[in-house]
Amino acid sequence: MSARLEAEHLHKVFGRRPQESVERLRQGADREELRADGITAAVIDASFTVEPGQIFVVMGLSGSGKSTLLRMLNGLLEPTAGHVRFDGQDLTALSDRELRQVRAKKISMVFQHFALFPHRSVLENAAYGLAVQGVPRAEREKRAGEALALCGLAGWEKSWPDELSGGMQQRVGLARALATDADLLLMDESFSALDPLIRRDMQDQLLELQRTLKKTIVFITHDLNEAMRLGDRIAVMRDGRIVQTGSAEDILLRPANDYVASFIQDVDRSRVLTASALMDTSVTAGAPLCACETATRDTTFAELCAISARLSHRVSVVDEDNKVIGVVPRQRLVGFLGDESAEPAPCDSPEGKVIAHA
Amino acid sequence: MPRLRLGDWVDSGVDWLVAHMGWLFDAIKAVVEGMYDGVNAVLTAPEPLLLAGILAVLAWWLRGLVAGVLGFAGFALVDSLDLWDRAMSTLALVLVATVIALVISIPLGIWAARSKAVSAAVRPVLDLLQTMPSMVLLIPAILFFGLGTAAGVIATLIFALAPGVRMTELGIRQVDAELVEAAEAFGTTPRDTLLRVQLPLALPTIMAGINQVIMLSLSMVVIAGMVGTGGLGGAVNEAIGQLDIGFGFEAGVGIVVLAIYLDRITGALGAQISPLGRRTAAKARAAGGTKVWNHRPRPVVAVAGVAVLALVAGGLGVFGPTAGTAEASATNVGKGKEIKLGYIPWDEGIASTYLWKELLEQRGFKVTTTQYAAGPLYTGVATGQLDFQTDAWLPTTHAEYWKKYGNRLEDLGSWYGPTSLELSVPSYVKGVDSLEDLKGNAAKFKGRIIGIEPSAGMMGMLKDKVLKEYGLQGEYDVVDGSTPAMLAELKRAYAKKEPVVVTLWSPHWAYSDYDLNKLKDPKGAWGKGDGVHTLARKGFAADNPEVGKWLKDFSMTERQLTGLESQITKAGKGKEQDAVRTWLKQNPGLLDQWAPVAGSEHKSQAAG
Repeated sequence: MSARLEAEHLHKVFGRRPQESVERLRQGADREELRADGITAAVIDASFTVEPGQIFVVMGLSGSGKSTLLRMLNGLLEPTAGHVRFDGQDLTALSDRELRQVRAKKISMVFQHFALFPHRSVLENAAYGLAVQGVPRAEREKRAGEALALCGLAGWEKSWPDELSGGMQQRVGLARALATDADLLLMDESFSALDPLIRRDMQDQLLELQRTLKKTIVFITHDLNEAMRLGDRIAVMRDGRIVQTGSAEDILLRPANDYVASFIQDVDRSRVLTASALMDTSVTAGAPLCACETATRDTTFAELCAISARLSHRVSVVDEDNKVIGVVPRQRLVGFLGDESAEPAPCDSPEGKVIAHA
Repeated sequence: MPRLRLGDWVDSGVDWLVAHMGWLFDAIKAVVEGMYDGVNAVLTAPEPLLLAGILAVLAWWLRGLVAGVLGFAGFALVDSLDLWDRAMSTLALVLVATVIALVISIPLGIWAARSKAVSAAVRPVLDLLQTMPSMVLLIPAILFFGLGTAAGVIATLIFALAPGVRMTELGIRQVDAELVEAAEAFGTTPRDTLLRVQLPLALPTIMAGINQVIMLSLSMVVIAGMVGTGGLGGAVNEAIGQLDIGFGFEAGVGIVVLAIYLDRITGALGAQISPLGRRTAAKARAAGGTKVWNHRPRPVVAVAGVAVLALVAGGLGVFGPTAGTAEASATNVGKGKEIKLGYIPWDEGIASTYLWKELLEQRGFKVTTTQYAAGPLYTGVATGQLDFQTDAWLPTTHAEYWKKYGNRLEDLGSWYGPTSLELSVPSYVKGVDSLEDLKGNAAKFKGRIIGIEPSAGMMGMLKDKVLKEYGLQGEYDVVDGSTPAMLAELKRAYAKKEPVVVTLWSPHWAYSDYDLNKLKDPKGAWGKGDGVHTLARKGFAADNPEVGKWLKDFSMTERQLTGLESQITKAGKGKEQDAVRTWLKQNPGLLDQWAPVAGSEHKSQAAG
């Protein structure tokens, strides 16, 4: 299956003579050199692809260029160099008018501070994108109502944005983005302004929606835990460049450089790692030997611990056809928590047991 | 430093504009005057109280019952002060100026909000328009548009333009950038972004700007009154010129009523139009519950109410005054031809102007009279906006004006003279009878001589010549000010019997109101007195040979002039022409002496 969204060598430079600056960057000039000349290189040579139905997370600290990158994907900012292809169509080659058509119908966006129109009701906000497309009132209100219901806001249609809590406001923002049936959803730090509990709720809801809607999503965040939770694939940005692209496990287990490594130090691994990264793949079988509980590739570390605690033996990991593709011994689970991957040392007590003396 | 000839460039620039862009100014003038006449006709058509009712219903709808009742009371007050027509004329002026100002300023503000370059270019121009003293703009406005409504409206709107532009720009720039981005992200066109997002959200700020525009327009109408726009501004000017404190206060109250009404209405209108404002109001109502004095009719009811009242008003308006039929007779020299007189609110000016109004009307002319300050009056006659004025003090007092406009004026000769200029002290100040006696007495007068407008020729003479001749420089300061201020100071000092020296001239009513001593001028420093001349626009005498001849032959004795002046003072304000009629009846024969008609002999012959 071909990529839905493809970014090729995207550059965005603010300042005088941007093309010239891009040329300098290509020849190896770094960001600091340009900054001395009053030029800001916000995004440098960013390339990635996003498959249909994937959540692609761009992660980086503030100033790393992630929001600029996002705004080039729907043409709010015009790339200084490079191309954006969406469904095979080169967005950078479109006229303003055609670009507006694409934004109205195929790409929608959810903002950090919700960006709801305070002079429109919740329903009118959700219907905004459809109103821009010129959809008749009755139909757009019906579709907006459905989108709101999908986001858990049925019954709030007549309310006004300022009467809702932050989390609810962002649900309206999400409903507005979903109502247009756009294939691509751009989410710019959409949950960052919410407090932690609500943020988790929203992440769960997004994953829940994604299971049925299968949108293609580009999600921007500065929160690595959020990136790991949501992202099928993650790009880590630093100083305008993408320093690593990969799955959550790729990044966690095989950081590309010290920067990424230092970044992932504080990540709660138990929430990110799944059986596929933990299992011992040297043990396979046509089917489990017992009727005990099994895990799948996607079972998280925390769930594995729970399963392991209920079993007297190793946890079998099975695939869709119930074949055992690996096992997770308790030893490994404990080792991962302690960052210890070596085999246990033998004990000098013959039974291998520690006896507690009274 | 070399002297920068900025003033000369502006002068020649203005002259060039007058000479070459006349068609443009005429077109603007036609539009502005058309709008003004239309609005004024609508406002003055109904009975005053009926219109007051309509305005009150409007206030009721927008703000509530209390506002409606107070609004009605305010307008009823204006009517009972006999200022209704003037107030409506001012209202029309403000509305026209505001509408034009908004038509210019809102698009300009939008443009400035979207382009940094435009914003940077517009800002200093706005600063210039807003801070340049308004009188400085008023005189060119007269040159371009002539005396009257157009010049007043233009000067007003120039002054009031700035807040409209600024607040529009500010309002749009204040709209959250993320909201604008959201609109764009959903594919909204720039035009729709402006109409659906930016303008609705900027509306409260823009409405505050509109409110400012109206308030500034209203504050400008007094100054605009100086160029003959009439209305309450004109009333205030007349009152100031004649030191009529009571009338000034009444006119001031009229302006205040208009100001408060317009301010509250536009404020409420802002809340009604803007979606955010409507929400806030709805919330407040829900919280406060319903009370009778907060009750507001629903829009439909309000519109119906206004419509019914307006229909009644229109019905009554039909029975307006019908034009009287002109009587054809041999004495009808003018045959309805219009002659425009302007005057300075000096007693001899008022007396001679109303005298000629009466004489010319007796001879079949249609005469309008308007009061001006001296500068605009000269400009008006020189540019042909006015036909003539009878109160030019030449060669001394009005020397500056004559120097500037003399070549565009026709001097129809002096009708009274000589006048005299002098310094005067109240007679209770003992021992000061001559200019020489002032020396050494500075402490008594606090070293001050109360002057009049620094532009007056008399002030130049006083400072450059009279003080020098008598060696008074250094001892006395001449206080620049205005004639009304000088007279007010005299009145104040006179009441408290404080010593005071004022600049005065004869004839002047102050000599009959107060017991004053003219200081003798043994050295003749003031020179010979002026004559009071009649000045007409170039070509007036050729266009109206009879009137030209009458004016050239016209002269009054001191007894006649003071007699007429006292008659007018006795009759009171607004009855000047009645006073002239009474006086002419008491002095029969003067009409035929001053405005002789060949036809009158012809008629008597035919009868005989």
